[in-house]
Amino acid sequence: MGGMRTYIIRRLLLIIPTLLGVSILVFSVSMVFSPEERAALYVGEGGFKAAARIQAIIKKYGLDQPVYVQYYNWLKNVLQGNLGWSKSLNIPVARAFTELWPASVEIAIYAAPLIVITGIMLGRISAVHRDRWPDHISRIFAIVGWSLPTFWSAIVLLAIFYGALGWFPPGRLSPEAQSIVHSAEWVSYTGLYTIDALLNRNLFVFADALRHLFLPVLNLVIVGNAGIMRVMRSSLLEELHKEYVMAARTRGVPEKAVINKHAMRNAMIPVVTMAGVLVAGFLTGLVITETVFEFKGLGYWAAHAATQLDFPAVLAFALFSGIVFVVSNLLVDILYAYLDPRIRLG
Amino acid sequence: METKTLVGVFIVLLIVVGGLAYIAGKKAAPPATTAPPATTAPPATTAPPETTPPPMEVKNPDKLIVATIGEPETLDPAWAYDTASGEVIFNIYETLIFFDRDKVDQFIPIIAEQVPSVENGLIRDNGTTIVFPIRSGIKFHSGRELTPEDVEYSLERVLVMDRDGGPSWMLLDPLLGVETTRDSDGNLIVTWEQIDQAVEVEGNNVVLHLAKPYPITVLFQILSQTWSSIVDKQCAIEHGAWPGTPETWQDYNNPEVPPLQEADCGSGPFMLDRWEHGKQVVLKRFDDYWRGPANFSEFIIMKVDEWATRKLMFLKGDVDMAYVPAQHMKEIEGAEGIRVYKNLPTVSNAAVFFTFEVDPNSPYIGSGKLDGNGIPPDFFSDINLRKAFAYSFDFDRYIEEAWFGEAARTPGPIPQGLPGYDPNLPMYEFNLTKAEEYFKKAWDGQVWEKGFYFELLYNVGNVQRKTAAEMIKENVESLNPKFKIYVRGVEWPEYLKAMVRRQLPMFIIGWLADYPDPYNFVFPYMHSSGTFAAWQGYSNPHVDELVEELITTSDQNRRIEICRELTQIYYEEVPSFIIYQPLGRHYERTWVHGWYYNPIYPGVYAYPLWKG
Repeated sequence: MGGMRTYIIRRLLLIIPTLLGVSILVFSVSMVFSPEERAALYVGEGGFKAAARIQAIIKKYGLDQPVYVQYYNWLKNVLQGNLGWSKSLNIPVARAFTELWPASVEIAIYAAPLIVITGIMLGRISAVHRDRWPDHISRIFAIVGWSLPTFWSAIVLLAIFYGALGWFPPGRLSPEAQSIVHSAEWVSYTGLYTIDALLNRNLFVFADALRHLFLPVLNLVIVGNAGIMRVMRSSLLEELHKEYVMAARTRGVPEKAVINKHAMRNAMIPVVTMAGVLVAGFLTGLVITETVFEFKGLGYWAAHAATQLDFPAVLAFALFSGIVFVVSNLLVDILYAYLDPRIRLG
Repeated sequence: METKTLVGVFIVLLIVVGGLAYIAGKKAAPPATTAPPATTAPPATTAPPETTPPPMEVKNPDKLIVATIGEPETLDPAWAYDTASGEVIFNIYETLIFFDRDKVDQFIPIIAEQVPSVENGLIRDNGTTIVFPIRSGIKFHSGRELTPEDVEYSLERVLVMDRDGGPSWMLLDPLLGVETTRDSDGNLIVTWEQIDQAVEVEGNNVVLHLAKPYPITVLFQILSQTWSSIVDKQCAIEHGAWPGTPETWQDYNNPEVPPLQEADCGSGPFMLDRWEHGKQVVLKRFDDYWRGPANFSEFIIMKVDEWATRKLMFLKGDVDMAYVPAQHMKEIEGAEGIRVYKNLPTVSNAAVFFTFEVDPNSPYIGSGKLDGNGIPPDFFSDINLRKAFAYSFDFDRYIEEAWFGEAARTPGPIPQGLPGYDPNLPMYEFNLTKAEEYFKKAWDGQVWEKGFYFELLYNVGNVQRKTAAEMIKENVESLNPKFKIYVRGVEWPEYLKAMVRRQLPMFIIGWLADYPDPYNFVFPYMHSSGTFAAWQGYSNPHVDELVEELITTSDQNRRIEICRELTQIYYEEVPSFIIYQPLGRHYERTWVHGWYYNPIYPGVYAYPLWKG
């Protein structure tokens, strides 16, 4: 137990050099762009009048200073809790995180478990019924899901379920529900509308939020669970042919118990790895899903900021992604130890 | 059995969630109504006749919802210089005077009780003293009453702030006679006394003292736009803006961020409810508005970047107005319940520019010599080449292909619809025979003999610029196999950098009016200090004199003469050639009424509109 605690502390401390490394890397990449290119963010396409004063803008923001001076200034501000100003959203970077993070988390908490559960279920069915029709159907489903461009499937879903049927509109809430959540009576506990709706005991907003979540989550499930399913299938097939499984069968252990109690547990290890990456990816945003379904979160912002060379935002996002991935890797490692007691952390 | 259970669970889950969501959708549906406007809305006198009656129930009858693609930069009127910010600001704030509906050169009094004129005695001292009597009884959104001191503070704050690349120059020029408060090193070059003297309160009047005689129409156009918005002084100070004190004004010059970034210190028909960055701006009706409350309880400006999503929302009636890019116009054509206004002349245009002296280290001029593998830096200083390129451009085909026919041609930089525009002046036509003739004359025949190579850039994503660049390449290269132009797409920042550094031998770019006066176009295109002319290195002292006279004379006939002469010189010297003036479109649901077109508006002005 002590070893585990030390391991966790050590891994958490690893965040600091990781973030320093990430920030230096991103900062160095940003320096590939000339001061004029970076100042273009303050001018914008069409802002030619401002372009005439671009040298003043460069001077004002210190864009022509040596790289180490610019990095030092940025780091000093970050350590003082100032992540800078996001020019792509026109608000402080820290505030952009707090405003956009709930949308990404809300998609993640619904989509990720559904993807993992359906992926595991389909993978298990496929492996258990190898080369029979459930396997074929699952594999076709996986191949189709894997091959579908997210953008295309999103548009098709939107065209059918919103354009043709009018059931599931884009956005996070309808105008009526928005009026409620922005009223004085509404208490925002988490920023996640489904959870806040339950805490505020407002079923209309809950159902409305769920209605708006349906298509983005469905799109992610269709596209996302193919990977989990394939990994689960191959991993389970591999386990089912191992000696300990044979031995269990010869001992007369029922097939269901052989699969569920013995093989599944070991087969889960690569799935956990993949699920960890998946969840981390979801938490750091989903560019296409958030854009097409007007469910704007961190992914939308990060892509938007990158295309506009909004470096304070890009840097902060890189730091945030670094933290999410380090923590998710740590959780995956802890889950490993739980799934396979032979794995010792520390 | 197990498989069936799992599949069953999945299907049940889908049905439950889908069903729940569907029920919620039904509950959430707004009441169907065709409610009449809450107040009397002005008739849309200049609007084209409406075509078809509303085919479906009015959605969200109490809200006006616009789907667009722009994100406001700020809500601070003294900082804002982009149309997305302007659209929000001119619904929240008001100005002393405002455009008379669709007219760009006629004005109505708003915060001022009268529009000043020589006849009513409010324009004095040879046009250098302008008096605005301030209307009483106007309330700010804070509930405070608007006073002449608020007006003085608001206009002085614009002069004080003067942020880099901001709109303050438009007030600095007539009031202080300078375009900036700082020199190139950032040192202040104006004094508090100058600022203080420029705008003064005299009883219930606010008096502007101009530094020089200025065309009154131009001044009124400047005073009718968002940068001249009147702010609630106390509200502004509470938000950290300049406190109005002479001794600290320097501290508020060229700030890092706009003090009124998300503040609402206005008196307009709508109040800021919330700004969800990257998503939408929600305005709510100001019930104490002095002209009577607006017809909508909410005016929502949504940012919907993805066209497919925006289109579906528009077709379903969930938004009342939508931005439709030119390449998608046909997808909306004839759609039920949607009205379109076409051929709306914009106050913008674009041209192909020649750089007279390119940076010798430019990576876009090949060898840097006239040897068939590059061009010398002063390649385009030869007028024959400029004429040859102008004759090589297939204007009509370009407008058809790049603009789907929805653009106009103009002889010079002055767009259609502005005084001084004259369609009878000469302009270049596509004529490859003449082009060849001028290419043969250029550089004493060396160009034709040796050929050339250079790179023509466009910024990725700008289809119109790409089409123009490819058309130039195709036509010019067809004349002589030794002529080579490489068309390269680069990101906007790189494009801007190359332009500013004078690295581009030829570039394509456009201009959007600050105010709808010819001066605002001839200055950047032709004056040696103008944005484009300076990048090009184009200079003609006589042109400079004419442009300067244009902004100091109020004699309308003389101004038109000057415009004609400048357009003629533009044709003869070809520092650039205009390739289009876009003709805009406006799309709205047929249940929206009262919209009219004023080309200088930054977006939708919601007050006169209603649904039904």
